Amino acid sequence: MSDTPTDDGPPRSPDGAMGPDSFHVGEPTHILGQANEGKIDGVAKITGSAVFTDDIRLPRMAHAKLLRSPHPHARILSIDTRRALEMPGVLAVMTGEDLPTRHGAIPIAQDETALAIGKVRYVGEPVVCIAATTEEVARAATRTIRVVYEPLDAVLTVEDALDPTMPVIHEQGKRPSNTTRRVHQHFGDVDQGFAEADCIHEAVYQYPGSTHVPLEAHAAVAEPLPEGRLKLWTSTQNPHYVHKTVSHVLGMDETDVRIIKPDVGAGYGGKCETFVTDLCASWLALKLDRPVKCALEREEVFYAHRGRHPTRMRVKMGMKNDGRITAIDFEAIANGGAYASYGVVTAFYLGVFLTLPYTVNNVRFTTMRMYTNLPPCGPKRGHGALQPRFAIESHIDKMAELIGMDPAQLRRTQMITAPATTVNELHVPSCGLDSCLEEALLASGYAARRGRLPTGRGLGLAASVYMCGALHGVYRDDLPHSGVQLQIVRSGRVTIFSGTADIGQGSNQMLAGIVAERLGITPKLCRVIEGDSDLCPVDLGSYSSRVTFMAGNAAIDAADKIRAVIAQAVAPSLGAVPAALEFRNETVSAAGRSVSWKEAVRIAEAAVGTLGSTGSYRPPKAHRSFRRNPIGPSPAYSFTAAVAEVDVDIESGIVAVDRVWCAHDLGRVLNPTIAEGQIEGCVYMGVGEAILEEQLYDQGQMQTPSILEYKVPTVYDTPTIEAILVESHDPGGPFGAKEVGEGPQLAIVPAIANAIHDAIGVRLDHPPFTPEKVLRALQGRPIAVPDMPSLTPKPR
Amino acid sequence: MLPFPPFELARPGTLHALLQRLEEPDARILAGGTDLMPNLKHRIEKPPTLISLKGVQELNGIVENEDGITIGATTTLSEVAAHPIVSERFPALRDACRTVGTSTVQAMGTLGGNLLLDTRCRYLNQPDGWRTAIGGCLKCEGNVCHVARTGSGCYAAHSADTVPVLWLMGARLRITALTHEREIDLPELYTSDGIRRHTLRRGELLHSIHLPRPRGFVAHRKLRTRGAIDYPLLLTAVRREGSGASAVLSALGPQPILVQAAVAADLPEKAWAAAKPLNTHTASTSWRKHMVRVEVKRALESAVTLALQ
Repeated sequence: MSDTPTDDGPPRSPDGAMGPDSFHVGEPTHILGQANEGKIDGVAKITGSAVFTDDIRLPRMAHAKLLRSPHPHARILSIDTRRALEMPGVLAVMTGEDLPTRHGAIPIAQDETALAIGKVRYVGEPVVCIAATTEEVARAATRTIRVVYEPLDAVLTVEDALDPTMPVIHEQGKRPSNTTRRVHQHFGDVDQGFAEADCIHEAVYQYPGSTHVPLEAHAAVAEPLPEGRLKLWTSTQNPHYVHKTVSHVLGMDETDVRIIKPDVGAGYGGKCETFVTDLCASWLALKLDRPVKCALEREEVFYAHRGRHPTRMRVKMGMKNDGRITAIDFEAIANGGAYASYGVVTAFYLGVFLTLPYTVNNVRFTTMRMYTNLPPCGPKRGHGALQPRFAIESHIDKMAELIGMDPAQLRRTQMITAPATTVNELHVPSCGLDSCLEEALLASGYAARRGRLPTGRGLGLAASVYMCGALHGVYRDDLPHSGVQLQIVRSGRVTIFSGTADIGQGSNQMLAGIVAERLGITPKLCRVIEGDSDLCPVDLGSYSSRVTFMAGNAAIDAADKIRAVIAQAVAPSLGAVPAALEFRNETVSAAGRSVSWKEAVRIAEAAVGTLGSTGSYRPPKAHRSFRRNPIGPSPAYSFTAAVAEVDVDIESGIVAVDRVWCAHDLGRVLNPTIAEGQIEGCVYMGVGEAILEEQLYDQGQMQTPSILEYKVPTVYDTPTIEAILVESHDPGGPFGAKEVGEGPQLAIVPAIANAIHDAIGVRLDHPPFTPEKVLRALQGRPIAVPDMPSLTPKPR
Repeated sequence: MLPFPPFELARPGTLHALLQRLEEPDARILAGGTDLMPNLKHRIEKPPTLISLKGVQELNGIVENEDGITIGATTTLSEVAAHPIVSERFPALRDACRTVGTSTVQAMGTLGGNLLLDTRCRYLNQPDGWRTAIGGCLKCEGNVCHVARTGSGCYAAHSADTVPVLWLMGARLRITALTHEREIDLPELYTSDGIRRHTLRRGELLHSIHLPRPRGFVAHRKLRTRGAIDYPLLLTAVRREGSGASAVLSALGPQPILVQAAVAADLPEKAWAAAKPLNTHTASTSWRKHMVRVEVKRALESAVTLALQ
């Protein structure tokens, strides 16, 4: 590495990347990777002093409440708001026409408005918003609204959505249909691959929908500022996207809107968009010229949803007798709900990762994401890649049995080795899957125990892959994906300004750790100011497992620049060249002479003036087929191998997941405590999807919109988890690091499915593995997976 | 957050003052609140006045007497579970208390409150806006039962975890009012109507629960989806009686049912035949019926194990 200040202007490499001169891969660390000395926001969180959006109370603040649709699909004939307006305390009543600009997560699929206009498309869709002096009055006023609806036929299933005689949910556009997106891609020679196969197996799988259940419900507080400006506090994963969308929908200049993300009680993908809370609070605040809070009730979070797409999949796989996969032919159809959300991306993710983590050169897939009259689906931990991973990893175990091969050996023989470029041109710079597999097998005693446990007890293995952010953001421009700015004052304190969104996952700790590592100081000297559009450089947000990789590199970039400035200033007083200086233990030293960090800062400030720097990260451009395969390429991929041990009660059909060994290749461990926590969270969420969580709808109405009846696991349902951290030193990751927040979950559900097969000899191809499904399978009368519909488009 | 509907909170300091307030037409008792508070937030009930039992000391505590123990109605489930005599002589009651909700619910919830827990149904225990979309139900703001559309009654499920074991323990209830006092056997508290679910009359208060000396060994089982928090999908209490056995099953309808077998081994099959689970829960009805046989069999086995100890 170099300690010489870089030239003016951003560094540009031939592949279009922007970022630090060195990623410091493989360098020894003194702060990073050490046992955690305490999360920098930990005390605030456990003492209750952390401030979440709903904690914010401003003078004259009004409260907004929503009236929601009782129909899955209906025309709005009239809305009578008179009685509400006459109620004491009611300040304003807002309907769809008040804010008609369309918006959506993806620029090419903007199909939502703040409140329904003309028709409603799901039970629970917001129709009217009322602001009043108290929450109680606002809520009572919504109950006085008379809406006259003309019910329409509801499109509830993917079969309904494919049926050209059913109504179209979104009538705008050139060729209206209930298909959000259809993707068909073909790589290699699939037919030839099947011709070469010794064994061909085909099966249909149904992965269920599920939702995130963040502890904190969505909330927003909008405050009007002088000269028509607006400040909005919001519980979000993506302050930057909220900033752009709120400005766009309200017709305001982005410079007049300030978005602040306070402490957030988790998201898991459920807070990646601009919600009705943001838009209604903002519009009402400007109209009333007083602050407005709009906070969802728990029931409403289930309607806001944006969770896992229920997905039906057909897998046809060809295999040689030695276990090598010769071809995959794959179809998937996802029930997307009433709005697009990130559904265009989902349609791609359902197919593009079929070429990993095993070398498969002949792949063909067709995926469809459909509109239906249900709450909109979107990204949930492992977005779109998780459903096919369940199908593929289940299918591989079935084929291993068919050809009489050990499932672990089958995976071992064909997992990719990095660097590799897949047939669909995903470039994989690093892969530690071999170590993940061996560690998980060893820890679980898989080789000796699988197939030899008493009836009812079983072990199952699965492997998976995930991305570290997207090479191409939702906006097609040349701007960095992450920016970090540092300010160092003469007390020695370092302030890190970043547009990232710490939603509890610990990205602030990551930023402080990286900056502290490069400057040789304790993370406690670092303050992180993040998620504030007035104060912080842009970061695209906490989604796609991109933050450590991208914002981490921007932090290295900023830290190395200011380190070079300080080294240049301090070197003469130590009698050394700048490159020889060591920054460590709050000391800057060379050849036995040293100054304290604080002294070094004072020397540098005296020499060059106020100390500050900026850093950026933009991933390299994708390989040449960007236009064909725009969604899927990532600067790096993480890998997981998991073994689950289950105990199946054969009299009741109840499945208990006793233990999970989850080995994850996260490139480099930056913080072992937080990394293990992320793996534990992934296992927990995977267990919920595997055995408990079901989104039951009746006539489009969610049957369990509460955390009493929507069954996320309790501590008693959570297995003993052994998180195993595997390092592969990615050449482009910060210090070699990759993601750990999502990838581990992909392997959990198929590992449990494979363990159930080992335990009781039956295959279950449609989670959740409820007692009834298990029992019926044991009784030889299984509940069948529905047939795969034809994905050939039918003309309307 | 779901706001509460407005209500007045009365805090009488003596039993006499409490019983006076109970004479008021819309009086509603507040004990631990773990059942009532969520129902208020869901607007299942909108009582103008809540009368707190907290100030009346004599309703609280466990007293040992000649022929058993007497538990005051406001004794919390944690206090019951932690009491040495309960652990020693009525371990199934301790077990049942420890399956209610969570430890925080057990710390707030009372034994009397559990006996008088409102009946529950997937179509009832929902936020008010949700119920509006289905037009309400028989028990609340509607005139159709979504569980049995052609029926005329309400089938909301009795879901009180402690009741089946107390039933088999021969619990007697002391009921007091301003003008009178009476004692009843526990089964007489319940009715087959999910709406008018108990037999207390206006002005009456459940004062205490008396358990006679234990006769035989009672075992308790609670079937629920998760390891904590959940209301029961099926409650089973079993007692061995010589070569025979009895079971009390609940969470199947508005009141528990008693099943007896002269030969203990016949009990699971008899219970299975008697159980008619309805669509009051989102969990599969046929699986809940299947589980009656499994749970009764297992409860019988643990009753035998207890007897051998």
